Formats: sequence, structure tokens, C-alpha cells
Amino acid sequence: MTSAGSDLDRQIEQLKRCEYIKEAEVKSLCAKAREILVEESNVQRVDAPVTICGDIHGQFYDLMELFKVGGDLPDTNYLFMGDFVDRGFYSVETFLLLLALKVRYPDRITLIRGNHESRQITQVYGFYDECLRKYGSVNVWRYCTEIFDYLSLSSIIEDKIFCVHGGLSPSINTLDQIRVIDRKQEVPHDGAMCDLMWSDPEDIDGWGLSPRGAGYLFGGDVVTQFNTTNNIDLIARAHQLVMEGYKHMFTGQTLVTVWSAPNYCYRCGNVAAILELDEQLQKNYKIFEAAPQEARGVPAKKPAPDYFL
Amino acid sequence: MLSLIESTFASLAVPIVGMVIPSYLSFKALNGKGEPKALLAYWVCFAIYMQVTFLFETLCLHVWVPLYYMFKVGGLCYLVASQTNAATKLFDKYIDPFLKTHEEKIDAKAQDGDTSLYPVAILIDELKNDDIQLRLNSIRRLSTIAVALGVERTRDELIPFLNESIDDEDEVLLALAEELGNFVEYVGGSAHASSLLTPLETLATVEETVVRDKAVDSLNNVAQQLSREHLLEHFVPMIRRLAGGDWFTSRISACGLVAVAYGRVPPATKEELRASFAGLCRDDTPMVRRAASAHLGLIARAVHACAERDQLHSALLPLFQQLSTDEQDSVRLLAVQNCIELGKLLSLAENHAAVLPVLRTVSTDKSWRVRYVVAERFCELAEQMGPDVTTAELVNTFVALLKDVEAEVRVAASFKGAGFARMLPPELVLLHIVPCVRELSKDSSQHVRAALASVIMGIAPLVGRDATIEHLLPLFLQLLQDDFPEVRLNLISTLHAVSTVLGVEQLSHSLLPAISELAKDRQWRVRFAIIECIPLLAEQLGVEFFDAKLGTMCISWLQDCVFTIREAAIANVRKLIDLFGVDWAQASLLPQVLATHTHANYLYRMTSLYAVASLAPVVGAELLAGTLLPLALKLAADPVPNVRFNAAKTLRELVPQLDAATVHERVRPCLVVMQDDPDIDVSDFARRGLQCC
Repeated sequence: MTSAGSDLDRQIEQLKRCEYIKEAEVKSLCAKAREILVEESNVQRVDAPVTICGDIHGQFYDLMELFKVGGDLPDTNYLFMGDFVDRGFYSVETFLLLLALKVRYPDRITLIRGNHESRQITQVYGFYDECLRKYGSVNVWRYCTEIFDYLSLSSIIEDKIFCVHGGLSPSINTLDQIRVIDRKQEVPHDGAMCDLMWSDPEDIDGWGLSPRGAGYLFGGDVVTQFNTTNNIDLIARAHQLVMEGYKHMFTGQTLVTVWSAPNYCYRCGNVAAILELDEQLQKNYKIFEAAPQEARGVPAKKPAPDYFL
Repeated sequence: MLSLIESTFASLAVPIVGMVIPSYLSFKALNGKGEPKALLAYWVCFAIYMQVTFLFETLCLHVWVPLYYMFKVGGLCYLVASQTNAATKLFDKYIDPFLKTHEEKIDAKAQDGDTSLYPVAILIDELKNDDIQLRLNSIRRLSTIAVALGVERTRDELIPFLNESIDDEDEVLLALAEELGNFVEYVGGSAHASSLLTPLETLATVEETVVRDKAVDSLNNVAQQLSREHLLEHFVPMIRRLAGGDWFTSRISACGLVAVAYGRVPPATKEELRASFAGLCRDDTPMVRRAASAHLGLIARAVHACAERDQLHSALLPLFQQLSTDEQDSVRLLAVQNCIELGKLLSLAENHAAVLPVLRTVSTDKSWRVRYVVAERFCELAEQMGPDVTTAELVNTFVALLKDVEAEVRVAASFKGAGFARMLPPELVLLHIVPCVRELSKDSSQHVRAALASVIMGIAPLVGRDATIEHLLPLFLQLLQDDFPEVRLNLISTLHAVSTVLGVEQLSHSLLPAISELAKDRQWRVRFAIIECIPLLAEQLGVEFFDAKLGTMCISWLQDCVFTIREAAIANVRKLIDLFGVDWAQASLLPQVLATHTHANYLYRMTSLYAVASLAPVVGAELLAGTLLPLALKLAADPVPNVRFNAAKTLRELVPQLDAATVHERVRPCLVVMQDDPDIDVSDFARRGLQCC
């Protein structure tokens, strides 16, 4: 193995201990990640078997719990459906670990973009502040948000299961329409790219206005239409807290929400789930709870700034 | 008249000739069209020229010079005229050399003025800033400012300035209180440390508790560095002022300052300090009494250190007794701490006479918070009272706490159950503690049961085998079935203790059904705890029993849905092979372990590979080459890349354990094929494997 590879392995080990890596290391990690991600399609093809995961939201120790239940990388293949950062205490470590794993094992892990992988949202919900607090400058936030623009928008597993963070868009009927979006930009306020990350399924007919102020609500008929047009069996998405970890919707179970942040925001009391698909696309949901207190570290204290007269 | 026309002409001509034209030229020069050096030289000369003529006119000397203004304008024209270059010449010849010789001195003077004003100015500026972060920053670098000012000016200017500015957000005051505690060296060492007392005294009276506490800490710090004279001259009067303060905050702070001064003042002052402290213990405000009680132990230690035993008895013990019957429970609960603090300074007999009555009062206090603290510190208290009192009296006190009406008290007491039982003879444990444990195991609070579960087995070695079987085992089994996972988990983690007391047959008949129940627990951490116990149980039970009762359980964990459990199951199998030997493994366990390699799900096929890697070192050469290696080689052609690269990983680990011929004939060809695998991870792991061949 080259020295660059063993350096990456060391960084992964360090990040797994919830210790963040140096700013210069983040910069070079992001540069390598960009090379890999730029090659990926807007509808990235993924082979089964794979384990599908939903929102993580910076809950690092719960991500470790996820790996304890689902198995470690690279042995288990993973697909994370976005929202790696914000709200939790360890967005920096969480995102950098996933990104480092992506660089180390590009074929074993797929990362797609969530609505929180955005400059605007991260400035409000914590990732920006966390970068500033942990590194004393916003450079790391800049490197990471630049990488967000390169993350794929969705995935298709064995041409049968479509994975996206939010949901469908009224301006999209076929997967090919997603493939032609120019994704290398900040998440826009409207349009197809925004809807993919912001929409929610709802028990309605057709389309509805979303209370979130971005994206749309879409009904079972929309899902059926989309699945038939594109010859897929299931839409797997995240984006909404589910107390039981996962939730099937609509007749024929055409859509499932997977949520992987247990005890969301450290207070919601929900369990989390991951969806294991084996080689025959057999579905197997695994439920897990938040990491017990003794498995968590104490949040790192803010280092004392240096003062010069 | 002539002079009037002249002066009017001059007042028009001077600006036009001397300022307007050169200004325009300067503007051009600034835009790169001209000679900036000549213009700068001109401006220097112009300034001097105007200064001189101004002086001349102010002193009215010009009236004696005919056509003065004509000369003045003429002179200016001479300076401005570019053909003559007069200004540059004048500058080069006279002004430049003069200034160069004096440049250093002038700069030094300017610099001097700068440093003396700059830091304080900045500090004042920042301390008045609207942004709290800036104010905090400036406080945090007080020491740097003090160093820049020097000790004298720090005392004379900085500290008084700080005295004036103590009127800020609590966060800033807290920072200030902390900084000042380490400020002695900046005001000139211990001889001048007393200058810090004024600002800290003010901080010790503010409303916010954390600021006050920090100020008291800092005052204690400073006091230790004060000389005896200064202590008497400045520190004691300060305590006097604080203790007599109108507002309760200052009196609270006074409680924390008596101890540090006590040891270093003359007897008369000691007397005064004691009296003042006694006053604080009787204060009208409960918060002051609480602070007094909290510091009683420290003061007692200071009195003890002065070898004043009589004072300890005559002055402090009455205060201790009085505080233990205070009307406020928050004051009374501190008496428990004081029982221990004071008890350490007293002999056993004195403890019985003075502390025991207080202990009796607080352990039957009407407030559960007081009783909770008693339960929490019960072992320490019992140790202090000695074995006689413990067996005669305290055992009943403890039983009362175990039966307390409040669940919190029962939890605290339960946690101390084994620790306290250790101080008792076995018959008393059986007589008093065990019946309580029986009741607690049915307690309505899950937290009480969880606390009990973590200590119940600690009692087993104390009462011996028979009593454990008779009394504790049923409770143990009952707790193993508890609805609350923490109860079960706490119990299981003490399983090793029970096996040292109980015999094999007891375990097999009673414990195992419960354990097999827990082996299927919904919580994977409970299952994990059980797996950890299996090797120990297997050792106790022997092969036959294991095969009959535990074997299937161990195999089922290999197909658990949680990765960590599968991993632990493999480690468990390895420990079992260590225990029962390879032959046994080959006959019963191993085939089942390796059977997972045909599982439909890739995760379980990989489990068989993990097992191969883990078991290879313990099964011996024959099984390794005959059973384990073929399995790994077979999975090297698995359709799922993850299985293939794990096979490569496993082969790499097997290489050092195989003989050279096997490696060459069987492992190497397989890895060579894998090296060209379309999956990058497979070929990578294969390549790494080949490096070891």
C-alpha cells in the first residue's frame, strides 16, 4: 500500500475515535473525494447487497452504534441517503469519517446529498458553528460545502430500488431527467434538484404544497406512476423522523422512509433503523437504539484562543 | 496704509502661491505625474517657513522690517519655483542632516509615550465595548497588560481602574475574579498582594454565585501569599467587613475566608474569627448558614492544625450540632458531610460522644434529601464509628434506610448494601440485610432493583454457599427475569461472583433456564453480556452439560442479526475450543460454525470467514489445511465482492500458519487469480495477500 493510503487509514482510525483531523488533511481529503464524486452519476448505480441508511445528523456515537449492528466497512456495503451534518454534536467527525471511507473504499460506500448538505442550511443548524469552534476558522466548512456540491443526488440499486433523500419532483418523470441536472451547485430554492432533497410523501392524491416551504408533498398515485414509468419496485428515502426507525407507505408498499438517527437531537426518544438488502434484494430491517452513555465521549471543550497584545 | 495693502496682498498670495499650486502638483504626483520627493521636501520646508514667520508675526517683529510681506511672499515663491529647486536643496543641506542626527531620540520618545498609554487605553476601550466577547477578551489578557505596565503602574493605575469598572455581565466578572487570583506576581509579589483585595472583595459581594465562589477561591489564593502583618492588617478587616455586610451575599463569602486566615493570626484575632464564624452559623439567611456548614469542616481542620483541641470541642462542636438541627433541610444535609470531616479529627470515644448523636438525628431526618446523603455515605460513616457501634446500632439504621419510603433513598442504600454488609459478621448479614434484600428485589421502582442487582452477588461470599442457595439464589433468579433490561444487565455482569460461591449443580438447575431466556433478549447488549459469561459457565459445567444445554445457543449467536453479537460469538467459540480442546470442537461445534458459509446472505457467509481467521491458530495443522483452508478457497470465488476480498484477507492471515508447499500449491494460485478481479477492493486485498506468500 502506498504511504498516501496508509495515511488515509490512519485518518480513518483517528476519526473513528471521534478525533477530528488537521485542516490540511481535510483539504487534501476533500480534493481526493472530489475526484471520485465528480465521476458519479446523478443517479448513481449501486449493486446489491447493500445496507441503506437515513439521516445521521452529526450523531457520531450513534453512527458507531449503526456500524456495530450493521457491520464495519468495507465488509458491509453502505448507502447513506444524506443529512450527515447539523443538529448533532459531531457533524465534523461524522462527515469526515464517511468521506474518508468513501475515498478509501469508493465501491463499498455511496453518499448522496441531503437538504442539510448546503451552505445556507449548515449556517443555521450547527455545522458552520461547529467547524468554526473546532478549527478556529471556516476553511473546513468551505472545503466540506464545496464537496457537498459534488455529492450525487440519488441512487438506483440493481435497477429496482430508487434511493433519494427527500422524494419526487413534479418536474421529473423519468430517471433520465434527473441524470441531466447540473448538480454542481448550491441546493437551489426550487426546481427539480431542490424537490429531490426536500419533498415528502403524504396520503394525498397527486401533488400538494409542502409545509417546509421547499419541495412538494406527493401522493401514492404519484409514486405508483413514477415506479411504473421507470420500472422500479421501491423508493427508499429519509428526511423525516420516524419513531419506529422505518415506515412503509402507500398500497403495495411502494415507498419506505428509513431514519438512522436514534433519539434524534438527543431527546426525541425514537429508535433508528437501517435497511439491509441482500444479494436477492430481500429486505431486512434492523432496529437500533442510541449508544449508551458510557459509549459516548464528553463533548470536546473549546480550546482557549491565543491572545496577542 | 501701505502695510495694510501689503498684508492683504500677502494673505491672498500666501495660500495661492504656497498651498494651492503645490497642492495641485501633489495631486498630480500622487497620480504618478511628477516628482513626489521634491514635493515632500517642499512641504517640510513650507511647514518650517510658516512656523518661523508665524513666530515672527506673533512677536510683532515684522513691523520693524520694511516690506516684510513682500519678502514673505517672495520667499515662498523662491521655495515653490521649480527651476531653482530651492526646497530640495534646503531640505538636503540643512533639514535632513539635522533630523537624521536626532531621529533615534525622537522616535524613542514617541515610542515611550506610546507603550505607556496604549495598553490601558485599549483595555478601557474594550471594557466599554458593546460586544461581550471583546470585553471578555480584554479581561483574559489582563496579565499581559500588567506585564507591559510594570508592577508599579499595575498597582497604581490598573487595579484602581478595575475597582471602578466592576459593573458588568457576570461572565466578564467571573473571568476577572479568576484572573485576579493569579495576579500576585503582576502587582509585585506577596509584599503588594494586598492591593488585590479591594477588587476581589467587591467581586465577593455580587449577586451571582459562580462569580462569588470564584472570587473567594482567588482570595484564598491571594491570602496564602500575604505576609502575616498584611493578613492581619488587610485580610482580617476584610473578613470583618464581609461578615458584617448588610446583604447576605457578602456574608456567604465571609464563610469561605475564615479557614485560610485562622492559622496565621494571633490568639485574640482567632477568638474574633471564631466568634464571627459562630455568628454566621446563626445567620438569619439560610443560604449563609448553608455556606457556614459547608465550610465547617475546613475551619475545624484549621483549628485542629493549630493544636487547639479545646477550641474544637468548646467552639465548633456546638455549632456542628446546632447546624444539624437547622430548620432548612439544605443546611441539615451538609451535617452528614461534617460528621465525616469532624469525625476524622476526633478519637473514637469523642466520635461516639459528639458525632453519633448527630448521625442518629440526620439518619431519621424528616427530609428524604438528608436521608439520601446519609445512605450515600453510609459506609464511611460506619467505618468511622467502629465495629461495635456498627453491629450494635448502625445496622438497624441501615435497615431503616433500605426500607425508606422514598425510592431515591432505597437506591442509594442498595448500592451500599454489599459494602456495608462486609463490615458485619455473617450472622448479622443473614439476620438483617438479607430479609431487606428479599423485599427490595420486589421493589416497585426499577431503579432500586437495578441498584440491588449490581450488588446482590457481592453479598453471596459473605454468607457462604448454603445461605446463598437458600436465600439469595431465588432472588437472583427472580431478578434475572426482570422486565427492566438494566436490572438483568447489572446482574449478569456479576455472574462470575456467583459461580465462585455456588456449585455446578446449583447453576445448572436454576440459573441456566434464565440464561437461555436472556440469550434471546431483545436488547443486543444483554445478549452480549450473556455471551461474555459463557466461557466461565462452560468451565464450571463441563463438556456434557455444555453440549446438551449451551451448544445450540452458541451456534445461534453466529447467525444473530447484530454484527457485534456475531463477532462476540466467534470469540466465544475460540475460548470454548481453548477450554474443551480441538477434538471436541471437531466433533460437535466446528461443523456447525462453518456451516454458515453456505448462507444465502453475504453477511453470514463472511461470518464463517471471520471464524476461520479467528480459529486457525487454535485448531492445529490438520484441521486448518483440511477444513478451514478449503472453506476460504471456496469463498474466494463467491459472487459477492465483499465475500471475495474477505476470503483474500483470511488467506493472508492463514499464510504464516501453513507450510510452504500448501501456500505455494493452493493459496498462491487462488490469490493470483483474484489479483485480476474486476472489483478494486478484491484485487487490492489479493495483492496484499500475495506480498505475504
